[in-house]
Amino acid sequence: MEMKKRIGFIERGCGFLKLKRDHLAKELSTSLEILKGRRKLLLNNLKEAYSALTAAYISLGPSEVDSQANSVKSALVLEVLPRSVMGVRYPYVKILSKPKVTADLDITLARASEKIFEILEELIQLAEFESRAERIADELGKTNRKVNALENTVIPNYKLVIKFIESKLDEESLEELVRMKRIGGALASRRK
Amino acid sequence: MNLDLSYVVIRTHARIADLLNHEQIQRLAESKDVEEFLERLSKTTYGQISNEGTEMVPVALEKAFYEKFLERILEIVDLTPHKMGDFLKIYYYLRFETLNLKRIIRGKFSGISPDENMASLVPINSYLIRSYKELTESVSVSEVVNHLKGTPYSGVASRLNLYEKYDIIWPLELALNQIFATSIFENAKALPRHDRQVIRNIVEFEADIENFLVAVKQRQGLRAEINFEEIFPVTYRISLDKLREVVETKDLKKVIESLDQKYVRVLSPIYEGDVALIRTGLRRHKYETVTSARASNEFGFNVIMAYLIYSEIEKDNLVGIAWGKAQGISPKNF
Repeated sequence: MEMKKRIGFIERGCGFLKLKRDHLAKELSTSLEILKGRRKLLLNNLKEAYSALTAAYISLGPSEVDSQANSVKSALVLEVLPRSVMGVRYPYVKILSKPKVTADLDITLARASEKIFEILEELIQLAEFESRAERIADELGKTNRKVNALENTVIPNYKLVIKFIESKLDEESLEELVRMKRIGGALASRRK
Repeated sequence: MNLDLSYVVIRTHARIADLLNHEQIQRLAESKDVEEFLERLSKTTYGQISNEGTEMVPVALEKAFYEKFLERILEIVDLTPHKMGDFLKIYYYLRFETLNLKRIIRGKFSGISPDENMASLVPINSYLIRSYKELTESVSVSEVVNHLKGTPYSGVASRLNLYEKYDIIWPLELALNQIFATSIFENAKALPRHDRQVIRNIVEFEADIENFLVAVKQRQGLRAEINFEEIFPVTYRISLDKLREVVETKDLKKVIESLDQKYVRVLSPIYEGDVALIRTGLRRHKYETVTSARASNEFGFNVIMAYLIYSEIEKDNLVGIAWGKAQGISPKNF
């Protein structure tokens, strides 16, 4: 009875794990789609930023670009916080402060810096998203292994044990019945 | 013709032959890397330029090209007589000095060492100030600005409060731009009438284009602390009202098309967002202007101006090519 209760519990758990697995798979495939799109967009933006920066360097010369870049005050400050989806923890990056341009940048460099600042945020978001997808994939793998282990090993083993116990109990009760019948027959013949 | 002037013009004619021609520049741009670029360059009037032991090859090459350019202008500008010479000094020396002052201020602002700050300057002797070294050794931006008191740059000190209040350096840079623009304006007025035309077509046109680019930049949000007159202290054929229109309009193309045709030709790359190409167009305009002015009078100031403009274009081209080669940009993409 205890074993039956336990297997019922394990089967319910396996059902939940299957649900989790399906949800994670769905989440992962959506994440991968988004990731693919974002990566493509980021690559395009990176190309644009690089070409804007090249234009600035060619237009102003490296010393002037370096000098104007010196006017960028305060660094990028980030805070990494934990977040969770279906129990999967992933890092969430919060931008606390962005670099600030304090000089009168030349228009070519101003365009390049604008594009780079845009990319910076995209890059952080993409890294966050990639890490999320990676952790979901990892968790999906673990959940899948758990479901497989439960479905293919644990539950069948439990069933076998239960079956063995049941057949053993059936055998014993049959033996008991035969024994009782024999005792009953012997008592009846003695009374005669 | 003035004898002093004729001497300078003859010297200039001889020097124009030393400049790199289009084919040479093309060959340099087609070099596959920096080594090949330097090897090809060594066969020109630039001779051998070594980049051994240099970490920042493009910066070192830029310095070498600047030195050659400054050597050329020193030979000519200091000999050019009277008001023309004064104007050229303002146009070149003051321009590079204001550029150096901006670099010193930015260097102090970011906290780089005095040596690094000194190395970032255009290699020119100080013009209206005592020494660059003294400024680079100052401990703060405020000290640099205080050192400028008593020089023609003392106006910068009036913006020090904005720097101290908001921790921003652009008001100081803006003050330097104003000093340069006003000096050019005043000195151009003193030029003889027959020379003023070529100056007008180059210097005024350049100032108009730069004003226009600044106005385009202001489209992202005009700074509340300053007004239009401060940003554009001197305007020529693109008026202050037109610049205001540039900042406020939704249809930039319409504003550009309302300008003179030569402005439209230079500014049109902005339709595709290519602001760097505007500078290329500006250089082309300057080249064409001095070339046609030189063709009209082979023995006047036009020749000097043509030589100086050609030299500067050559320097800019070489700096750009050297940087591109160091970055591994293929000749095709270049």
